[in-house]
Amino acid sequence: MDFSTKIDSFLYALIDKGAYTKVLLGFKNTLLIAVLGLIIGIVIGTLIAVIKVVPKNSFVSRGLDKISTVYVALFRGTPMVVQLLLGYFVLFPLLEIKVDSLTVCIIIFGLNSGAYVSEIMRSGILSVDPGQMEAGRALGLTYASTMMKIIVPQAVKNILPTLGNEFITLVKETSVVSFVGAVDLYNAFKYIGSANYEYMVPYICMAIIYMLVILIISAGIKLMEKRLRASDKR
Amino acid sequence: MISVKNIYKNFGDLSVLKGVSCEIEKGEKVVIIGPSGSGKSTFLRCMNLLENPTYGEVWVDEDLVTPVDPYLHFDIIEASKTFKKLFAEYIAENPDCDEETAKFNVIMLIKEKDLLKKHEGSEYNKLMKKIYKQNVIDINLARQRIGMVFQQFNLFNNLTILENITLAPMRLLKKSREEANEKAFQLLDRIGLRDKADAYPQQLSGGQKQRVAIVRALAMDPEIMLFDEPTSALDPEMVGEVLDVMKELAESGMTMVVVTHEMGFAKEVGTRILFMDDGKILEEAPPTEFFSNPKTARAQEFLSKVL
Repeated sequence: MDFSTKIDSFLYALIDKGAYTKVLLGFKNTLLIAVLGLIIGIVIGTLIAVIKVVPKNSFVSRGLDKISTVYVALFRGTPMVVQLLLGYFVLFPLLEIKVDSLTVCIIIFGLNSGAYVSEIMRSGILSVDPGQMEAGRALGLTYASTMMKIIVPQAVKNILPTLGNEFITLVKETSVVSFVGAVDLYNAFKYIGSANYEYMVPYICMAIIYMLVILIISAGIKLMEKRLRASDKR
Repeated sequence: MISVKNIYKNFGDLSVLKGVSCEIEKGEKVVIIGPSGSGKSTFLRCMNLLENPTYGEVWVDEDLVTPVDPYLHFDIIEASKTFKKLFAEYIAENPDCDEETAKFNVIMLIKEKDLLKKHEGSEYNKLMKKIYKQNVIDINLARQRIGMVFQQFNLFNNLTILENITLAPMRLLKKSREEANEKAFQLLDRIGLRDKADAYPQQLSGGQKQRVAIVRALAMDPEIMLFDEPTSALDPEMVGEVLDVMKELAESGMTMVVVTHEMGFAKEVGTRILFMDDGKILEEAPPTEFFSNPKTARAQEFLSKVL
């Protein structure tokens, strides 16, 4: 088969046989898992980062610190695929919760990225001048409200490039969700390839789509950074 | 206003404050001077508990803001593990001694030698907490009445000048945005920076930042203002503008405690000078007396260097 017939058979499978619906679904799922995963990750990560930096002067704060240490170790110490498999085939069946594979993927991606974001966020919080916290406390603001109003916004600005990196990693890691039967970009193109035993063109297409998505995300992050830097202009 | 009783502060093995007491009355302008490393800033920061004293009490008006000192309460000492251990030993050694005397002797021993440790068991903790709740005001409430200005300004970098000033009044005094803005613009007019309301701190000069930091504290209508070397991080040409704002504030009758190296300001504005060295207050006098006739050799030496 020469290259043009390969393209023809790919287009035939994609359009005439209706595989484009599967590609669109895969595209949607890939973005959904990455975006929701990141949002859950940021919420969990911020929470854990704050737990890690608050003074350990009470039983509760020490306990929470221990729990989050274990959590981070668990999710950074195992591959994403393993976590997906354990989540889908062990955790949820044991808890007797019936959920579809897409939901499991979103939850596991969120938990996984929470572990990474917590470390990123912690370094961001520590990079903020301690004088900012002192000024807030000296005005009578509580630790929590100074944290949320003053420290975390500045921390987020400092870590935005790294956070963008985390998002890109998440988008790419979605290619493993077919292990638990969710439809993503990889899964959709594999399906087209297997329809006529021709994988070359579909996989090239897939690579280009991933590449484009990530280029767009990078541009978006740049733009956001620029806007957040507004308070730095002199 | 603020009274500080016998404060000690240790950073690890380093003891920075070694028993400092001081009473600040309404309307006073107290200026704290002394060589670097004498504990001036730490002392000031203990007044609003930005540093927790290792030992001693801080009172704001009628409210105790530091944790209750267990050594002042016999029943708390009696609940401690250390007491129980020493008491048993004491009884074993002096079987003839009656219980009351034994108790008293052990308590005195513990007080004298400072034997209470950080963890003294749950019974002790419970008593401490109970007393803490009775007499102690939440430090966050006390701090609303105490304004503070820092050497490094510490304006909130993520907020505009206006937001810097209105954040605390809106969140803590429950002022509406309009009220808070109105007050903020009044204050900005006072320091001539109304046109900078929408600027961010990075766009201001050091002197401007420090003036904004002063009005940010004033927006909470504090009863007393603490200044921690407010001009030390400024270029020489900007020192004047900040001192002018402080002088004006002093004339308006604000109670002030100022740690500074500006002797001119101390002479002109201060009503009382505290001279500190090596973690203690060595001298306490009105400025005219202190500057013309310092009593201690250490103060004489210091003044000969800085004047």
